[in-house]
Amino acid sequence: MLKLVGAALVLFAGTMLGFLQAARFAERPRQIRHLLHALQRMETEIGYGQTPLPDALERISALMPPPLAGLFAGTAARLRSGSGLTVRECWESSLQEGWPATAMRAGEKDALMRLGASLGGSGREDQLKHMRLAALQLQAEEAAAREDQERYEKLCRNLGVLGAALVVILMV
Amino acid sequence: MPPNWLELMPSAVRAILASLPESVAGTLEEIRIRENRPLEIGYGGRYGFVGPGGEVTGDHRSAYKPDREQCRALLERVTNHSLYAVEEELRRGYVTVAGGHRIGLAGRTAVEAGAVRHIRDVAGFNIRIARARVGCAAAVLPRLLDPAARTIKHTLIVSPPQHGKTTLLRDMARAISSGEWQHPQAAGWGGRKVGIVDERSEIAACERGVPTFDLGPRTDVLDACPKAEGIMMLIRSMSPEVVVVDEIGRSEDAYALREALHAGVRVLATAHASDLRDVFMRPVLSELAREGVFGAYVLLARSGDKVAHRVYSGREAEEELRRSGSRSGASPRDAPPEAERADAGHAGASGGWIRAAGPARPRPSIRSPAGAEAAGREGGYA
Repeated sequence: MLKLVGAALVLFAGTMLGFLQAARFAERPRQIRHLLHALQRMETEIGYGQTPLPDALERISALMPPPLAGLFAGTAARLRSGSGLTVRECWESSLQEGWPATAMRAGEKDALMRLGASLGGSGREDQLKHMRLAALQLQAEEAAAREDQERYEKLCRNLGVLGAALVVILMV
Repeated sequence: MPPNWLELMPSAVRAILASLPESVAGTLEEIRIRENRPLEIGYGGRYGFVGPGGEVTGDHRSAYKPDREQCRALLERVTNHSLYAVEEELRRGYVTVAGGHRIGLAGRTAVEAGAVRHIRDVAGFNIRIARARVGCAAAVLPRLLDPAARTIKHTLIVSPPQHGKTTLLRDMARAISSGEWQHPQAAGWGGRKVGIVDERSEIAACERGVPTFDLGPRTDVLDACPKAEGIMMLIRSMSPEVVVVDEIGRSEDAYALREALHAGVRVLATAHASDLRDVFMRPVLSELAREGVFGAYVLLARSGDKVAHRVYSGREAEEELRRSGSRSGASPRDAPPEAERADAGHAGASGGWIRAAGPARPRPSIRSPAGAEAAGREGGYA
């Protein structure tokens, strides 16, 4: 009886692990898409509205789903705190803090870090160029993420169940 | 409560400035930050360098030197982390931050087609601290009144930089708008509708269009608007009785001022000039002055922490000009006053004041709700 319960638990855990991993694969392209939307929004705020950066970031964060909203809201809050930190420092520390909660990988982070280094520090035209460059990089990452999703999403799910089954068989 | 300009400073400079002696901090006018050069402050009409512990010295070698990183952080803070939003201001060489403090910038300019496009490597900052001195107009305003029209004469406030023109202008706007004429004859006049064209956001220090300084109950502000265009916009849209503008000097300003004069609006303006002779030397101002546009001139002279005013009527100004022959050129503001140096026996000027002698020329009266009897006296229109 006890063995049966244990086996069920292992099977359940393995399945969930597989599903979680699969969900991350499915989530990544979606989040990159959201980031691309955010960049587009930022282009409008900076290029046409000339909105000050803290305001622009806050507005964008209001439109984003939770894990991503934190990145923008965190930067805006740090800029407003009057601590004297530069945009780059604020942006980097909120990325470091919020990144583990997202499903994204190093490629996207690199692109965002590079954007953060130039954000707010130059004229309008230059800002737009930097944002378009970041968008291009993100688009490349998005394509890769979609490929990964197709390849690994189902695999992960199956692997979870099958791996758990293997452990159960070995235990018995 | 720490002053809001302190928040702009990078942390190291902030700590130093926060530990300035009370007597210095209270009279602080300017903070000059130059990359890798001594930190300088202007206070109470004097200047000094600031050491790493916040002590004020005359010796620049022992002063604190802000580094490149701090200058970058400061530039970010004064532009609210958004250089792209202040491109127009960078072209002109200054930005105005919350609280109305003007920050002048120096560095390497980027030129395109012969015109300055923006300042690239900003390495010098001059933070000019704006202060509202409520009540400083009280001594001047009674001399600028035009009793027939129940308002003020067209007035030009003249002084070299940093003598408190904008501070005086701000308080005059407040006093006119709230009807504090400080004159027994003007007791029942009430306030006037005041329109301010605040090109540099210094007079009103608007945040999202709302003035942060007290400018009186009947004041409208057109923030960050070019003067010439702003004057016309105000006249068309807000029907002001007195238009207040800062630092006129370009030819389009003169055009707009003339336009305003003939629209039945009184003008209160400031200009950079060390004395009346300068006014008559500057191309655009002299044109206006010779036309007899201004009914009164206010000259600000400053020694130490005190600002003295002198009021000339338009006619007196012209006489004064004829009397004084050779000009000595501008002198630094800590030099002894002109009167002491050259002609000590200046007629009337020895007491510090010249009485304004009536309006320079008759002007149309301005209708006001409290002025029914005045309108009746002048032939009555309703």
